Amino acid sequence: MTDARRARYVALFAAEARSMLGGARRTLSAWFDTPTDISHAEEVFRVLHTIKGMAASLDFAAVSELTHATESSLTTVREGVRVPDRSWLRELERGLDDIASECERAIVAEGGDAVVGINAPAAPRIVRVDIDRLDALFSDLGGLVTARQDLERHASADALSPVARAASVMAHRLDTLQDRILHVRLAPLTEVFERLPPQVRDLARQLGKEVTVELSGEGLEVDRAVLDQLPEPLMHLIRNALDHGIETPDDRRVAGKRPTGRLTVRARRDRDAVVVELTDDGRGIDREKVAAKARAQGILEAGSTLSDDGLLAVLARPGFSTASAITEVSGRGVGLDVVLARLHGIGAALSLTTVTGKGTVFTLRLPMRLGIVRALVTGIGEERYVMPLTHVAELIAWDPAAIRQVDGRSVIEHDGDSIPVVDLRRLLLYRGEAAPSRRPAVVFEANGQRVALLADAVLGQVDAVVQPIERPKGMPRWITGAAVLDNGRPALLLDLASVV
Amino acid sequence: MAQRILICDDAIFMRTMIADILTGAGYEIAGEAESGLQAVERYKALKPDLVTMDIVMPDMGGIDAVRAICTSDPSAKILMCSAMGQQALVVEAVQAGAKDFVVKPFQPARVLEAVKRVLDG
Repeated sequence: MTDARRARYVALFAAEARSMLGGARRTLSAWFDTPTDISHAEEVFRVLHTIKGMAASLDFAAVSELTHATESSLTTVREGVRVPDRSWLRELERGLDDIASECERAIVAEGGDAVVGINAPAAPRIVRVDIDRLDALFSDLGGLVTARQDLERHASADALSPVARAASVMAHRLDTLQDRILHVRLAPLTEVFERLPPQVRDLARQLGKEVTVELSGEGLEVDRAVLDQLPEPLMHLIRNALDHGIETPDDRRVAGKRPTGRLTVRARRDRDAVVVELTDDGRGIDREKVAAKARAQGILEAGSTLSDDGLLAVLARPGFSTASAITEVSGRGVGLDVVLARLHGIGAALSLTTVTGKGTVFTLRLPMRLGIVRALVTGIGEERYVMPLTHVAELIAWDPAAIRQVDGRSVIEHDGDSIPVVDLRRLLLYRGEAAPSRRPAVVFEANGQRVALLADAVLGQVDAVVQPIERPKGMPRWITGAAVLDNGRPALLLDLASVV
Repeated sequence: MAQRILICDDAIFMRTMIADILTGAGYEIAGEAESGLQAVERYKALKPDLVTMDIVMPDMGGIDAVRAICTSDPSAKILMCSAMGQQALVVEAVQAGAKDFVVKPFQPARVLEAVKRVLDG
């Protein structure tokens, strides 16, 4: 076999083995719900059998031996010699995991790529592309979008001119091109979701809890860069839900619930975002306990209570924990603060709703695409700043008379709420001409907190093409990039979530 | 004219490998099928000179497909492709009408010998 031909076979093996193992994992998930239903056995058997044949053809001895052993165990069930139960299914699950790792080892040893192509569709007409090349394509697209806005502005002088018509055709084509290029970077949530059920079952077992996990919306797609950052925060939230949320079967019976807890991970589209909701039907977060600790630490004023948003803000403070005993499962590793930082890094937001005795919902709002963001343009003097609309809640005309000082901080009263005010001029150390008398306030929401940002003017919205910037030492972390406006002028991109 | 072969296997990997072996020896690939049902349909539509048939496939396995094809065309030439440890199934396939078998992993020489044997037989 020539090297080129072998490389082609290895690539086919990588695509098919991964896709088939993904299918087998999904089958196994359904099988866990009805362990004695052996109709699932045929599908898993077929996968193992096919992988065994492929592996043998490539002399992947370890893979074929492992698949053969797992296949033999499965045969006892298919032939009715053994009645499958959960413990046997877990064994099968571990077998599939081992096979998957062994496949990855074999693929990498052949110089194949370990990441791209996981769960590739069954027809592997796939070209592997370095993500840097896609980024370069993306950057070129950015230049085109800017040129197009420029052209449209000039053409608008005479909307019936041939130039205006050509500009409009070009704009339309560019929209399509933009969509297609962004589409190349999309990957389905399945890649992350399908790994959750086994992990949840493992955790549940460690914790002596019974949990079923339900997934939906896993076919939705998000940018590869977003997807790659998702597993860790999601698992952290799941660990918390299992450890602190869902009760032991005995406690659940006492509370009048069914002994098996339920965890759902549901994804849905919402405008230009994909929303992932993680719901558990456990005991909910003990608001009073968190509030008491927050008061003791001086984070919360005596006598005040915590809303859901306030609760998240407190829980996300570095080092804040109410766990009376550090447990094996969620006592280690990263805290909610690290989860939030990770999510902000990909332009995502987190919120929570919790009801005592009923459970908790964590809502992750993920951007579908990176690179081009719908943003608000604001001005300070002649300078322009853009802010992603994701976190912008509303714009209010701000009356200087409505400002109050509370504990040395400026707040404004709005909708019966006291919202802290941050003056963009002060934040940016602006030393130009004096501020106009009337200034708009941009109210934004992140991590369950609202802050009003004072600008000199709000100038409209743009599709800002975000360019990463070199970060000189000392640059504030809330300046996250630069965008080019439609008049060709650059503007800094402010990450509102970090300002909070 | 080159003899035309229909390749039935649920893995693209296997179909590609068999196709490479066969086209390298001057055979023409009439078509491919990835399930037993598809194999039966394609056989009727394509009338190939020979069929290579995997045993374990979704929606009707290879043996049932052999049975269905041989019922409609008793002169059909079918070569079973089996993995090791499936002797019992190979016997069943031959009883259903298959003419010969090769065992995975494929040795190109063995495959070509068997194909020639079945076509000449």
